[in-house]
Amino acid sequence: MKRLFLLLFFLNIFFAVNAQKYMTKNGFIGFFSHTPMEDIKGDNNQVAGVLDISTGDMVFQALIKSFHFDRALMEEHFNENYMESDKFPKSSFKGKITNLSSVNFSKNGTYDVTVEGDLTIHDVTNKISSKGTVEVVSGGINASSKFNIVPEDYKINIPGVVREKINKNLEVTVKMKYENLH
Amino acid sequence: MKTYIKIALFVVTFIALSAILAALYYYNLKHTDMAKAKPDLVVTATVLQKAFEDNETAASIKYINKIVEVTGNIASVKPAGNNVLSISLVTVSEMSSVICTFPAIADPSKFRIGDEIRLRGECSGFLMDVLLNNCAVIENK
Repeated sequence: MKRLFLLLFFLNIFFAVNAQKYMTKNGFIGFFSHTPMEDIKGDNNQVAGVLDISTGDMVFQALIKSFHFDRALMEEHFNENYMESDKFPKSSFKGKITNLSSVNFSKNGTYDVTVEGDLTIHDVTNKISSKGTVEVVSGGINASSKFNIVPEDYKINIPGVVREKINKNLEVTVKMKYENLH
Repeated sequence: MKTYIKIALFVVTFIALSAILAALYYYNLKHTDMAKAKPDLVVTATVLQKAFEDNETAASIKYINKIVEVTGNIASVKPAGNNVLSISLVTVSEMSSVICTFPAIADPSKFRIGDEIRLRGECSGFLMDVLLNNCAVIENK
């Protein structure tokens, strides 16, 4: 009886904790840069992410090899020359929503948020801060954000001839559709 | 014009044209069509997931960048990221599966949870699940 009580007690804690956590394994991160010749665009539709609505903690993880380009050659250059994806296969973000009190997770609607944290790309970690939106919908939460990064900040070397043609900043788009872990 | 100059001009033009054509060919090279590609490895979803869970380093060497044909039962059919479709396959693990993402919008109504399916895609690696990209359906029973 005592064991059953303990089991129920822990199960209750487990579900209470999990009820606060939202997750996705099919999130989107894309980047875009305009050049005079053509637009460079890479999409990753296999981003894993967890959002804890009680603390505002956010974690993303993505495989570099999951970025998909229209041109096979561009994808090859991205993996081999710039991101060195065999050496640095994963990219991650660990941060939190800083204005959590302005989001009402029990009421459907769209809320403006600011997210701050550590972004790791190419084994280099930098602090970033970005504005975004959190949309509370029935059965889930959608989160999106757009921000710029500079490849050189992550020790991604782009040869001079190519570098001149690419914008200094790469635009990064994040779109997550979280489901409750419960 | 002397004959050797003519030959030299011809050779230079030929090399220049070949280089331009080769550059254009590589620049416009399409991704491998998974429906027609010969698989490097043929496995079940359970074997593939277990390989990464047991030894990620060894499995990475064996599977990443390879065309993998995988058979399993459909666990979920979901829209993924930017208007693409992803199918996850049942494995022995409750938390971890094999996720196959399609390159463009596919009709989700063609897939039923529980059905056995054979897919082919390029292995990107392992996060919480084994990830296959650029997938094509080979057989949907």
